[in-house]
Amino acid sequence: MRIGVPHMGNLHIPLRALLERLELDFVIPPVNNRRTLSLGVRYSPEGMCIPFKLTLGNLIEAAELGADTMLMPAGSGICRLGYYAKTQEQVLHSLGYDAEIISVGVSQRKLLGLLEAIKRLSNNASWFKIISAFRFGLAKLNVLDTIERAVQKVRPVERIKGTANQLFAQAVSATEQADDYKSLKRVQKDYLEQLSLAERDESAEPLVVGIIGEFYVLLEPFSNMDVEKELGRLGVEVRRSIFTSEWTKFSLFLNPLGVNEKDRLHKAAMPYLKRDIGGEGWESVGEKVLHAKDYDGLVHLAPFTCMPEIVAQNIMPSTKENIPVLTILCDEQLGKPGMLTRLEAFVDLLKHRRRARVKV
Amino acid sequence: MVKVGIPRALLYYQYYPMWKTFFEELGAEVVVSPPTTQATLSAGSSRVVADTCLPVKIFCGHVLALVDKCDYIFIPALRSVKSKIYNCSKFLGLPDMTRAVIPECPPILDIDIDINKGKRRLYQAIYVLGRHLSRSPLKVRKAALAAWQAHREYKELMVNESLAPPQAIAGVTAEKHSTPNQASIALVGHPYLLYDELINHRLTHRLEQAGYRVLTPEMLTAEQLETAITRLTGQPYWTYEEEVVGSGGHYLESGVEGAIGVIAFGCGPDSLMMDMVQRQAIRLKTTPFMSLTLEEHSAEAGVVTRLEAFLDMIQRKKRRGAEVCV
Repeated sequence: MRIGVPHMGNLHIPLRALLERLELDFVIPPVNNRRTLSLGVRYSPEGMCIPFKLTLGNLIEAAELGADTMLMPAGSGICRLGYYAKTQEQVLHSLGYDAEIISVGVSQRKLLGLLEAIKRLSNNASWFKIISAFRFGLAKLNVLDTIERAVQKVRPVERIKGTANQLFAQAVSATEQADDYKSLKRVQKDYLEQLSLAERDESAEPLVVGIIGEFYVLLEPFSNMDVEKELGRLGVEVRRSIFTSEWTKFSLFLNPLGVNEKDRLHKAAMPYLKRDIGGEGWESVGEKVLHAKDYDGLVHLAPFTCMPEIVAQNIMPSTKENIPVLTILCDEQLGKPGMLTRLEAFVDLLKHRRRARVKV
Repeated sequence: MVKVGIPRALLYYQYYPMWKTFFEELGAEVVVSPPTTQATLSAGSSRVVADTCLPVKIFCGHVLALVDKCDYIFIPALRSVKSKIYNCSKFLGLPDMTRAVIPECPPILDIDIDINKGKRRLYQAIYVLGRHLSRSPLKVRKAALAAWQAHREYKELMVNESLAPPQAIAGVTAEKHSTPNQASIALVGHPYLLYDELINHRLTHRLEQAGYRVLTPEMLTAEQLETAITRLTGQPYWTYEEEVVGSGGHYLESGVEGAIGVIAFGCGPDSLMMDMVQRQAIRLKTTPFMSLTLEEHSAEAGVVTRLEAFLDMIQRKKRRGAEVCV
């Protein structure tokens, strides 16, 4: 049995650590690239969304490398994602790969669902081994996200453009190589220090733009054409509320205990959207209402044909709280120059708006 | 008398007799929007963002047609009608979305239908809905029971008499126009696509003109649909999966001359479900299958051409008795 996993941002790094520590046979397919996308597009049903296409591409590439057991998230009541595994398995079979997809029920079973799936995969490794491997994976995830947060702050104000991105790329590979807690800690300390030492334009007061929308396109830079880096290059500070580490922390550990970090967002969205509509639709509306005062603008990312986000997109213009929102629909037809033009125009608009506000 | 408006779109075809009975029992008058026209569609699509799906655009058009004509509009948020099976986000957010895009809309009667939260919550929701019209819980209870009875009779009528929802609603008694050996073609898809003649360019009518008997998902019993779903995908995931996967799976093996899968462009659940049916058709290679994607811009001539080609293929197959290509 050889395990294959799909990509989402840098999630492969903690996953690799987890699977290595469990001494399992696994492959990590190449990170998302043009080939992944075109494979995914070719074998997907016509109207599918980009997360499906890219993860399908990943699974096909994993199958090419000999993987026969795939891990995919699933569950019910969470948009189309819950149905992905069924269709992807059929696509793999029709391509002649005898692969099985193990769906990890993240929506209902939370931590238990995930741990049980790992237990099953690891031929009944001891719980001690599983939990320590899991913990180490989470530690890597935390380091990556801590560094990314610092990177988001440095990008808009760095004197030499590209410094932060370069440091982040180095930090990612250093995190990947670290194989104990001590070196992991050192990586985090080192890179945070280097980032704080990067030469900055102290007088700059960057615009603050929140990135909201669907989970996968938010966390997978390949699918959103590096929107965060591009905004950083335009001198905009990006704030994103969804981080993989946050998500795992809450949805795996705290939500089952009754702590819900999203309550604030849901409460804010209440006057406009009263109920959960699956995916991140409710949260998107909530973020608009909540951040209208403290951000300059919002970039709303959604896959093309994403059901929850279309509802959110329809509701957002009607809120009393007023803040410019740029919706970018991500799919294989999204072209970089077109997106850049829209981003530049949006940033110009925000600059004017801020200037007008300062005058008043 | 209080007037309650019901848009002739989306869930109308499944539940109209039930809703009508409920509101009339409570002493309200039920107003239904007129059948879809091009104007309904244009009015609806001018309100929502471009990538909203066609059925929802039409739904908004119907709501706009009801503004000024009623005191309330009934738009339920139908979340789940079977345990652990959920509906598309657009159905869940329908009342909120309508309120956002049509601010001039009369007060919306929205209730959450979610069977997973238990019977108590469902009864509460029905009671809260009834309170808008009557203060007496007993009266609401009586109306709900009558509505449920009407719904069961409606479903049985369609299965027993092989009627399509518009005929059953209109109370047409089955004109036995079909001879027993008449060749039939199955339409697979959601009722709001199959029975809205504007959306599907009078597909049923065209097939009947060509001499075929048209079969639709509503003519199958719940057991037939469930067996077909279990065979194709195992545990159902979407609320109206039986309309697509269930009826598709059933009709492909029922000896019909051909099956046509009708979906709306950009429909999330259908993009996956119709794919399941299509794959099954390819595996079986017994029944010709065509998937027809409809949207605002699909021109009548295009639909007609594809339909003619499909029917020609069926004729040719009949003559040669050859293997099917899908």
